Amino acid sequence: MISKSNIFSLVTIFLLSITVSAQDSWEKWGPTKGLKGAGILVRAGYTLGGTTPLPLPKEVRSINGFAPKGGSTIGVDFYKMYGKRWGASLGLHFFYEGFHTSADVKNYKISLTMDGNTMSGYFTGTDVTNTDMWGMTMPMLATFRMSPRWNLSFGPYFSTYFKKSFSGEVYDNEEGVGYLRVDNPTGEKVNIDRSNPATYDFSDRMQQWNAGMEICFDWKACRHMNIFGKLDWGLSNIWEGDFDAISFRMYPIYATIGFAYRY
Amino acid sequence: MMQKCFLFSIFLGLLASCINEEPKNTECDIEAVSVHVENPIEIFHHEYDTLKVVGSASDQIVFLIRSHENVSHLPLNLRITLGATAYIQESDGTFTEFKNGSLVDFSGEKVQMFRIVSEDKQWNRTYSITFEHDYPTEGDFTIDFEDYNLDATGRFYEWSINDPNVASVFTDGKWKNGNPGYKLSKSSAKPMEYPSVPIINGGPDGSTCVKLETKDTGSFGNMVNMRLASGSMFNGVFDVSNALKDALKATRFGSPFAHKPVKLTAWLKFEPGAVFQDRKGNPVEGIVDEPDAYVVFYRNQDESGNEVMIDGNDMFTNPHIVGLGRLPHNVNEDGSDKLCNTPIHGLTSEWQFVEIPVIYTSEVDQTILANKGYSLAISFASSWQGGYFQGAIGNKLFVDNVSIYCDKDLYTDK
Repeated sequence: MISKSNIFSLVTIFLLSITVSAQDSWEKWGPTKGLKGAGILVRAGYTLGGTTPLPLPKEVRSINGFAPKGGSTIGVDFYKMYGKRWGASLGLHFFYEGFHTSADVKNYKISLTMDGNTMSGYFTGTDVTNTDMWGMTMPMLATFRMSPRWNLSFGPYFSTYFKKSFSGEVYDNEEGVGYLRVDNPTGEKVNIDRSNPATYDFSDRMQQWNAGMEICFDWKACRHMNIFGKLDWGLSNIWEGDFDAISFRMYPIYATIGFAYRY
Repeated sequence: MMQKCFLFSIFLGLLASCINEEPKNTECDIEAVSVHVENPIEIFHHEYDTLKVVGSASDQIVFLIRSHENVSHLPLNLRITLGATAYIQESDGTFTEFKNGSLVDFSGEKVQMFRIVSEDKQWNRTYSITFEHDYPTEGDFTIDFEDYNLDATGRFYEWSINDPNVASVFTDGKWKNGNPGYKLSKSSAKPMEYPSVPIINGGPDGSTCVKLETKDTGSFGNMVNMRLASGSMFNGVFDVSNALKDALKATRFGSPFAHKPVKLTAWLKFEPGAVFQDRKGNPVEGIVDEPDAYVVFYRNQDESGNEVMIDGNDMFTNPHIVGLGRLPHNVNEDGSDKLCNTPIHGLTSEWQFVEIPVIYTSEVDQTILANKGYSLAISFASSWQGGYFQGAIGNKLFVDNVSIYCDKDLYTDK
């Protein structure tokens, strides 16, 4: 679990890195040639995260299981420093990311349309979801050199997917409760249990593009090697505009930790 | 690993901290109704008749009492959705809160109205509860399928039994079939595209008959591994709430009947569908689909006094069955249905008069019979394996003028 000590230690590292910066040379840790200049960063990292509604709707009663699929990212950033502190970068990252989650929901409004047939209503029970996304992200970041060895980059990104899937099952929860009230809470009650779950696949209804904000910390571990951590926070709904099977918007939020080689 | 844990914990923390306060219940059902009487067996045919489990789609609750009995003020108990509130309609039309165990006047088949309001106060349902007399019937009857109309939602046809002599043989006074289930899977279907439909002037005598047709259930059927729906007509209960969970168990056959049936007769016509498919939708070579028609007579109470109702699992094998008649089929050595390409049902695309005698394997007790201790089930289906969601799409069974003939010597009114 996230703890105060974790946050504390992170903050300590930041402060330390800034205080010790006096001893470091801005030139030594700068772009390979001087304080200005351009270069390339080749990044490889381990990606974890999920796609979630934010905030969680009240219909979601508990998260029983959440297992990010170990994703990965490789890519290059072209950067240019304009001075001691400021620069910019343009990246091209290929990624695979995904997650598996199981949640208990209550009166969760769903509306499915397939081949011109619609089934809508309110589901109570367990919903299990699997997501996989293969794609490419283009971050356009402003870089701020906090210290000789620490860079903070921030800016928008755009992602496009080569392959994407969002599928799952609904069935009864641990107490054996799993049902759909057809159309509204007074409609027919259709019980669904795990021996014959109802499956869904909304892969075709996901947007081809996603946009959001990226924040990335780079620490220059040695002359050519960075350790980085970045967070891609999706701000555009993953669903197509007219998609109403799920009554709320969902956003991809994925973090990556890895190494970068600096040329 | 540390990194993974750290990131993971940020995410989980983020999610867990966002769980909101639980929303209030929106449902407002009567799930079951029971009454307390000192001597249930004098008023009702069975002790279990004092409790009615109410299906999610029904809002008319009828208790059947013996024809010569009367009830007046009975202590009534409602089991309703958690958090909901029950109200009873007073004689001036207003609703006042109803407390379980309160006395309710059901004399003279008086209809009492109840309103259930959900915990969140946004939804309500109105129910009627009555105690009706179960008047003696003549035994023999014929049904010509002329009394049909669209259901309350206007989506599909249903068939009522208006003849008071026959109505009690049909739960809710209606034929049951899979149409309510088909509505859920194929919302775009027009009333005449459902598995069970009336055909005007289609009968052997030029009157209206019914067509039962095995239909594709589309993408939603596929989603739940139920790719076809057999056209059907039976008396009993189709529990649409549990049709997904256990379709065989959700199809329950029969109603109490105070006569000993000796044969079922009907006019039947059959047109086969092209390709037999298994539950996964794969075509199966060397098997043709067959229609089905059967009549079952069984003891409707077990030794412990519990209600017995045969369903799709055991409609031919339940130990409480005393008599059975069925359209001829090939069987395996163990007596189970034999799927093959040489059917012996004998039906063709021309109307023919079919007689199905009831073969008895146990004695029928006259006293139990007169006290409605046996139930009669009548059933027709376009695909005999439709309960297992296999068959040939396009299989059609046309049915008209169904009659039940009873053993007159055994009939005495109690």
